[in-house]
Amino acid sequence: MSGMASRRLVRASLGALAVLTGLYLVLPVFIVIPMSFSDSAFLEFPPKAWSWRWYENFLGDETWVSSLVSSVQVGVLVTLCAVVLGTAAALGMIRGRYPLKALVSALVMAPVLVPYVIIGLAVYAVFLDLGLTETLLGFVLVHTALAVPYVVITVSSALMSFDRRLENAAMSLGAGPIVTFARVTLPVILPSVLSGAVFAFVTSFDEVVTSVFLSGPDFTTLPVQMWSGVRVRIDPTVAAVSSMLLLVTLALFAVAGLARLARRVRAGGAKERRSS
Amino acid sequence: MTAEAATAEPAAPAVRRGLPRLDRWGLLVLPLVGFLLAVLVWPLTAVLLRSFTDPEPGVENYLAFFHSPVYLDVLVNTFVTAGLVTLVTLLLGFPYSYLMTLASPFWRGVLMLAVLVPFWTSLLVRTFAWVLILRDTGVVNELLPGPPVPLLRNLPGVLIGMVQVMLPFAVLPMYAAMRGIDRRLLQAAEGLGARPAFAFWRIYAPLAVPGVAASALLVFVSSLGFYVTPALLGGPKNIMIGELIVQQLSGVLRWGFASALAVILLVVTGGLLMLMSRLVDLRRLLGGAR
Amino acid sequence: MWAGRGRAAVSACALIALAGCGGSGGDAKELTVVMWGGDDQQKAVSAYVEPWGKEQGVKIKQDSPTDYAKFRAQVEAKKVSWGVVEVEPNFAVTACKSGWALKIDKAKIDTSKLDQKLVGDCAVPTLQYAFTIGYNTTVFSAQNHPKTWAEFFDTKRFPGKRGFWKYATGAMFEAALLADGVPADKLYPLDIDRAFRKLDTIKKDIVFYETGEQQQQLVSSGETPLIQAWNGRIFAAAKEGKPVANEWNQHLLSYDQLVIPAGYKRADLAQQWLNWFLNNPKAQAIYTNHSAYAPASDAALDYVNPDVRKEIPTSPENAPKRAAIIDYSYWADNYDKVSERLNEWMAQ
Repeated sequence: MSGMASRRLVRASLGALAVLTGLYLVLPVFIVIPMSFSDSAFLEFPPKAWSWRWYENFLGDETWVSSLVSSVQVGVLVTLCAVVLGTAAALGMIRGRYPLKALVSALVMAPVLVPYVIIGLAVYAVFLDLGLTETLLGFVLVHTALAVPYVVITVSSALMSFDRRLENAAMSLGAGPIVTFARVTLPVILPSVLSGAVFAFVTSFDEVVTSVFLSGPDFTTLPVQMWSGVRVRIDPTVAAVSSMLLLVTLALFAVAGLARLARRVRAGGAKERRSS
Repeated sequence: MTAEAATAEPAAPAVRRGLPRLDRWGLLVLPLVGFLLAVLVWPLTAVLLRSFTDPEPGVENYLAFFHSPVYLDVLVNTFVTAGLVTLVTLLLGFPYSYLMTLASPFWRGVLMLAVLVPFWTSLLVRTFAWVLILRDTGVVNELLPGPPVPLLRNLPGVLIGMVQVMLPFAVLPMYAAMRGIDRRLLQAAEGLGARPAFAFWRIYAPLAVPGVAASALLVFVSSLGFYVTPALLGGPKNIMIGELIVQQLSGVLRWGFASALAVILLVVTGGLLMLMSRLVDLRRLLGGAR
Repeated sequence: MWAGRGRAAVSACALIALAGCGGSGGDAKELTVVMWGGDDQQKAVSAYVEPWGKEQGVKIKQDSPTDYAKFRAQVEAKKVSWGVVEVEPNFAVTACKSGWALKIDKAKIDTSKLDQKLVGDCAVPTLQYAFTIGYNTTVFSAQNHPKTWAEFFDTKRFPGKRGFWKYATGAMFEAALLADGVPADKLYPLDIDRAFRKLDTIKKDIVFYETGEQQQQLVSSGETPLIQAWNGRIFAAAKEGKPVANEWNQHLLSYDQLVIPAGYKRADLAQQWLNWFLNNPKAQAIYTNHSAYAPASDAALDYVNPDVRKEIPTSPENAPKRAAIIDYSYWADNYDKVSERLNEWMAQ
């Protein structure tokens, strides 16, 4: 009896804490969105007058739009490369035998450990020689290096608690390694691979410090465009961009949610038919 | 390979000395190693060597670190801040992730959304939003009665900003790990008479450790390099090493000294992680064990 | 087997990346101009770079913001893509001594109509601005606000927080010494110890800002009703209806400069443009009318709108109120040392 009551109390306080944490996470967004509709040339909250001018400013300016396109391109490619390289490496690191383990671990963590500005300068000096500055490839290479530790760590943690008897069962039933990985291992570690993918995309998409070095008139990403005037002034265009990205994300989320709902309804219908 | 062999493998004692051979799984590490050597290590070597050559050959840049007490202060502050950020992030993130595994699909979606939303607001914009929220004439202080509570240009300001940035990085791995934990184990333990708290602590928590350790490592290490957030939300006493390095690199152009600062940060971080891996099973996470 | 798959995937992802990689232009007739970025740079480029480009058939490219590390890296790698770069004068001196910037060839760039204090061995002025006493007009009235740096440091008479730029070249030392009674013509070399002693007296009331954005946020919200500000930021905020104003008395004049990185292939175009720009007061005035930063050459004052003239440091109204011009040759030699001490002082 009292066990039930205390459990309910624990759940309630957990719930309250989670709600507060969630609010804390989204609080800045509640400032950013209204700010983006401000009529003022400055970031201010609450805005005194409303307007669309910062959205117009964004959409009407070729450099803003093309920097967004570049950022998406880089982000998608980085996600792809980092997930492939990182997942493979995590598999190898958790399961394999290889020399110089400690050194390899240090190497994999290095991109997070070395201050980005040092990486930025180092890579810039080399890329200048190779002609890789201001190119898509240059950005993809550097951002992949920065993003890959996040994939390795998240996937490693999933692999550690993965029960390998599942794989052995599949293999003993005649499945080859590829099929075993695709049908047995991957589904289990998928949430971690996906969070690694999200981290990889975001690491690239929001990266300023190294990107400032790599960018130039021929290729610039969105954060650099946002950052470029910050020393002097920034106007609410940056808030407008963030709000638009948010809207797109929410829309994607809603579509995904609806799709899942539709699937469930259809699956439910099928089940009913079968059972009838 | 038989089931026994696979499960016994992690426990097998490392009898052989010297370099272990590369096995088929081990090969999978190579592409990443090659990639990082080419893209990162090669360029970095040139720059980090500058700490011994720029402006003159020698260890002058390392001695300069002790020339003024401020550098050691900044280094210590960097680690203290990153440690505090990690602590607060885990304290908030663990129950949050746990609740996500319990919640209904709808509420799980809502909680997940709250974690993903900050990702789409650029760090820069978010930081400026925090300034408007936390300053003396800001949203929070307008709502609170009495004289303004100092929330900006101090440690609380830095923590509020940084934890908000790092929380998603902690919640996602923890949630992914906790999702995989079979809750029937808890029920079984309670069925056998264990008190819920005891069952949670002895059965559930150990299984969640890899996820928590991954989160802690990610958060701690990423926090060490923060620069924009502490620069805008912190005060003069909250300066972190990232900002100092930027100042030396782009402002004063003392590249040798900036490199030396980076090397010192790397060495201290490496040492600290090694120390921590003795306490927590961090090394296994990176495949360093066995 | 797994590794084979991994490698295939890696090469695939490298290929994808390569496919998207476009070629960049060669030594075409183009000039890349680098400034601090944002809306201000857009206005500046359209006021005085693009008209020249159109006239000469030169394609103008822009990059931003100025980053000294990038500057130095380009010159050292001998791959210079930046043509003309807006910099702070102390960097211009350092860059000139280190051979990173091209010497100004007086035969190609006519600097005779400029104030020679603004011209360096490798640099010419782009604009002039002032560190003024910015104040919040709802907290302080136009009659009763600090009008000297001594009053700015008098927290008893004028209570409230004070904003300073967090960098050593932010003129806080000059202001502190003026406030402490050092005559304006004896400012340099700065007595840093004395300046710190003066700054100590108001340390708990000082708020350091990092960006121009913070500057106007701090003063217009009343959080720091007094601020040592860039006159143009205050002007822009006032234009937006914010309760802020510049006090021009004892202002400290500063300026930005333009340099050509050593090794830039189209240095000839860079020089041609610089010459055109410095001797084209009308074009300079267009930017001044937008920003309230004073033009490089005084001849441009004739084309500046009357309401803006009241708000720029070189106008006949404001020039006599000047305390001093920042001596960047001093700062080129002492920036490292003083920055280190400033960091120490802030951390205490």
